[in-house]
Amino acid sequence: MSIFAVNHLCRELLRDHVFRAAMKSDPAKALEPLDLTDEEKGRLLAGDVGTLYRMGVNAFLMNYLARFEVCGLNQHIYNQRMRSVKVDEIGCPVP
Amino acid sequence: MAQIVAGFGVPHTPIFPHFVKRDGPDCETGRLFAAQREQLTATRPDLIVMFDTDHLNTFFLDNLPIFAVGIDRSFKAPNDEPRDMPDYVVPSMVDVAAHVRSAVIADGFDVAMTQSYSVDHSVIVPLHFLTPNMEVPVIPFFVSGHVPPLPSAQRCHALGRAVARAIESWPAPLRVVIMGSGSFSLEVGGPRMAPGRSDGVPDPDWAMRVVKLLEEQNIERLIAESTQHQLLKAGNVGGELLNWITMLGAIDDRKPTYVAMQIQNGHAYGVWRWN
Repeated sequence: MSIFAVNHLCRELLRDHVFRAAMKSDPAKALEPLDLTDEEKGRLLAGDVGTLYRMGVNAFLMNYLARFEVCGLNQHIYNQRMRSVKVDEIGCPVP
Repeated sequence: MAQIVAGFGVPHTPIFPHFVKRDGPDCETGRLFAAQREQLTATRPDLIVMFDTDHLNTFFLDNLPIFAVGIDRSFKAPNDEPRDMPDYVVPSMVDVAAHVRSAVIADGFDVAMTQSYSVDHSVIVPLHFLTPNMEVPVIPFFVSGHVPPLPSAQRCHALGRAVARAIESWPAPLRVVIMGSGSFSLEVGGPRMAPGRSDGVPDPDWAMRVVKLLEEQNIERLIAESTQHQLLKAGNVGGELLNWITMLGAIDDRKPTYVAMQIQNGHAYGVWRWN
């Protein structure tokens, strides 16, 4: 259920203003209690949305990371990192 | 007896309320919605049934129906903070919604329900422009168009037909408008965004093809070409076309009064009036 947890925390950024504030002030602490793998936590804290997309995280939900400017992301950085992911014609990642 | 009196296809871009507030009612989006509002007012609707794809706000990945209907006296919106969007309470018709669900289940469509619910921009943005006083009751009918596997276009079209039969079996004299909400080609937050934007139109040729088929009233061809592969090729929210196809099923595949495209957004504004 781990990728689910990443998707869920992205939506919680929208719905839970306390969590949003925590992610903006101290994301490592905010992520600590969540059911995430070490890799997922690391990718999130690095704002590595490209790798997270390749791991199966929903792009529409990850866009909230940029909208609310957490984990070092803003719309410009998010756009560059996500657009660097190579995908086939239906949007699935390719090597 | 209730009767279906018109069909509408609408976009729901969440930033549109901000753009129209910023740029004024004479901007392109303001004018396109104003033209639809004039058409809608002329139909004198008692009820709107809106086919819509929830953006993982009313539902989520822990509980995601392919089809669902909102059954309550009213619902709140928006639940996803679109910029410059007021908070609304939209009236609904709980008895008609429950009847429609029962009738389409009896007709072979296993439709889930939600009660005490709220909706996101995909329902409220078009209503914000078309019925800003929220005087017309609305029944949201959710079609899963974002998370594969998607329902087939054939299945959605047949569902529209079943919803029409359900509405027309309601004994009270209601004038019902059917809406389909969504884009034809759009990627939100994914790798196929345009440079410097949060979205993009990966397949503008497909969006234009959809409009051509709508204008030609060639719905059989539209359904045949709206494969899951094509909808995903059109973007990660390209499946929203299914809401238009479901609407078309409910209005018996009529010829549109007009379809006005915003190609830069991969969507259109459509009106079908005959009554």
